[in-house]
Amino acid sequence: MYFKKIGVIGGGTMGQGIAEMLAARGLDVLLVEKTPERLDYSYSMIELSLDKQLEKWAITQAEKKLILGRIHKVVHLAELGTCDMVIETISEDLDAKKQVFSQLDQVCPNHIILASNTSSLSLTELASSTMYPERVIGMHFIHPVSKVDLVEIIRGLKTSDTTFTETKRFVEEVVHKKGIMVYESPGFVTSRMICLMINEALHILQEGVASAEDIDDAMRIGYQFQHGPLEMADRFGLDSVEAALDRMFREFGELKYRPSTVLKKMVRAGHLGVKTGEGFFKYDKDGDRV
Amino acid sequence: MKVLVINAGSSSLKYQLYDMTDESVLAKGLVERIGMDSSIVTHKPTGGTEVTEVSEILEHTTAIRKVLSLLTDPEHGVIGSVDEIEAVGHRVVHGGEYFGESALVDGDVKTKIRLLFDLAPLHNPASMMGIKAAESNMNVPQVVVFDTAFHQSMPEHAYLYAIPRVLYSKHKVRRYGAHGTSHEFVSKTAAEFLNRPIEDLKIISCHVGNGASVTAVKGGRSIDTSMGMTPLEGLMMGTRSGDLDPAIVPYVMNKEELTVNEVNSMLNKHSGLLAISGISSDMREITDGMQKGDANSKLAFDMYEYRLRKYIGSYAAVMNGVDVITFTAGVGENSVVLRKKVCENLTYLGVELDDELNEIRSGEPRRISTANSKVEVLVIPTNEELVIARDTNRIVQGLMS
Repeated sequence: MYFKKIGVIGGGTMGQGIAEMLAARGLDVLLVEKTPERLDYSYSMIELSLDKQLEKWAITQAEKKLILGRIHKVVHLAELGTCDMVIETISEDLDAKKQVFSQLDQVCPNHIILASNTSSLSLTELASSTMYPERVIGMHFIHPVSKVDLVEIIRGLKTSDTTFTETKRFVEEVVHKKGIMVYESPGFVTSRMICLMINEALHILQEGVASAEDIDDAMRIGYQFQHGPLEMADRFGLDSVEAALDRMFREFGELKYRPSTVLKKMVRAGHLGVKTGEGFFKYDKDGDRV
Repeated sequence: MKVLVINAGSSSLKYQLYDMTDESVLAKGLVERIGMDSSIVTHKPTGGTEVTEVSEILEHTTAIRKVLSLLTDPEHGVIGSVDEIEAVGHRVVHGGEYFGESALVDGDVKTKIRLLFDLAPLHNPASMMGIKAAESNMNVPQVVVFDTAFHQSMPEHAYLYAIPRVLYSKHKVRRYGAHGTSHEFVSKTAAEFLNRPIEDLKIISCHVGNGASVTAVKGGRSIDTSMGMTPLEGLMMGTRSGDLDPAIVPYVMNKEELTVNEVNSMLNKHSGLLAISGISSDMREITDGMQKGDANSKLAFDMYEYRLRKYIGSYAAVMNGVDVITFTAGVGENSVVLRKKVCENLTYLGVELDDELNEIRSGEPRRISTANSKVEVLVIPTNEELVIARDTNRIVQGLMS
């Protein structure tokens, strides 16, 4: 299989990150959003992210131009018919995702891999909305996509071996990230472990064992985490963490996944982390700790 | 013999077709943006008009096929059939410690070039693609010419870094240098120009272009060179920092929270003339800026010149004297003002610049020092492609006889 032109559906945080990373690797990207306005917004966010990298000397002015030049704005899924692979990154809503996949099934030739960047939904269920479930697979990137070199490749029940090996080749040889194979299960490996750790940190905080600052320092300095668990939660968005824990709690039925009450309270208060400027810590508009 | 010279980059491929009976260039050209749907091929037959074509060229094999079809094209071509090309010569950036000279391509040579991917991750894989592409299109002997080969004659005390030796034995961390083909060509041409045996000469060869390096050539052999394990060390360059205190790297990474990739990109692409002038990485624009009174351009020029002169001084010490200083490549061949500034401050070595000769522009080797100068100062236009064609010709002729 030859990977040159990739469709990315959804221009949210993950869609932006994936589109930018693919373009930086020299691939052509068709970025899809529902309206031209949302497309323009996503595109401007990618530009902003490239400007930040330029400031950090990571890329040059010419490279920024080249990367942006490879990202094409598209508003209709029908235009993805010429893509060599499509990656869906819309919000974690099973019905909306199913609808996208059944449309893609019509548009893309049946050997083209259709991937979802879902972090927790069932691939098997997504694939069931298509006529060729063997080409549906999960490709879970981690934010920030340009810096984290890991992708969870998730096999649904009917995902074929060819689809898996080609996806792994794409991740490792084209995109130059490490791909790990994961069988479908709520939260896969990364979300399941990290959400549990965050939840435990919240229990420790709630029990008054240590302050937020000290809990984060413990893991950051003691175990060489880039960010401590509470800052991580702020960066993921506390609402997303709560939703992921809730889903795992329902699916596994085990108490250890039940979201801590501190988390629920923070979400109800609208303190969602970096995106609202306040969570367990405070952040400026660039997302830096203040 | 007709020899096709290929210089393959990751997304580009330069070529020249030589007729070695008189070393003339029959045609040359460039394929750009390989891997994209709008690749550009520029082909120029000697004495003919330049043709430019835009088409989809997704990999190097297709690029070579395109080049061969242009070379044999009834209208723009210069040969009747591909069979007239009897050998292919490739430029390869890194030959590591395996190659002290050019080599005929065989399985063993290819394995070694592949083993060096780690040391030249941007360049050697591209050269390999060029070799494979030529192989799949033509059945003729191929020769590889290495940028590092000329410097393999450096003594241990010049190529080792004063760091734990295990890093050398385990990872081959040492000085390799670059621009070897150019330094070798220029020093030989200088000896011929002066009509003196190269064995008797101490030459300091300054290859100053967008990338820049200085080499101490004693008796025709490289004994030290300014570029190191990678082309980042040594002189200040267009966008490369050149020498700096290595402790700056972890310090800045920590202060600015930079990753390894970011700091690499900073030193290779955001430093040098560009960083100091804030205007450009191009010496012509820096000189313009300086002449218009821009302080940053002047500082960039002064630093560039100062660092070049420092290396000349140190190589005079390395060889216990100097007979010839040569200038080549974009800046060295064209910047009258840089050569003047460098030479004016080397009078202690006995350098005496002839201002009139220095101002002459020409594509020929020429002397720019006075008749009384104790050191000959020469401008020698470099020609790396010709060296590749000559080596290819020599090795393949040897094979045939």
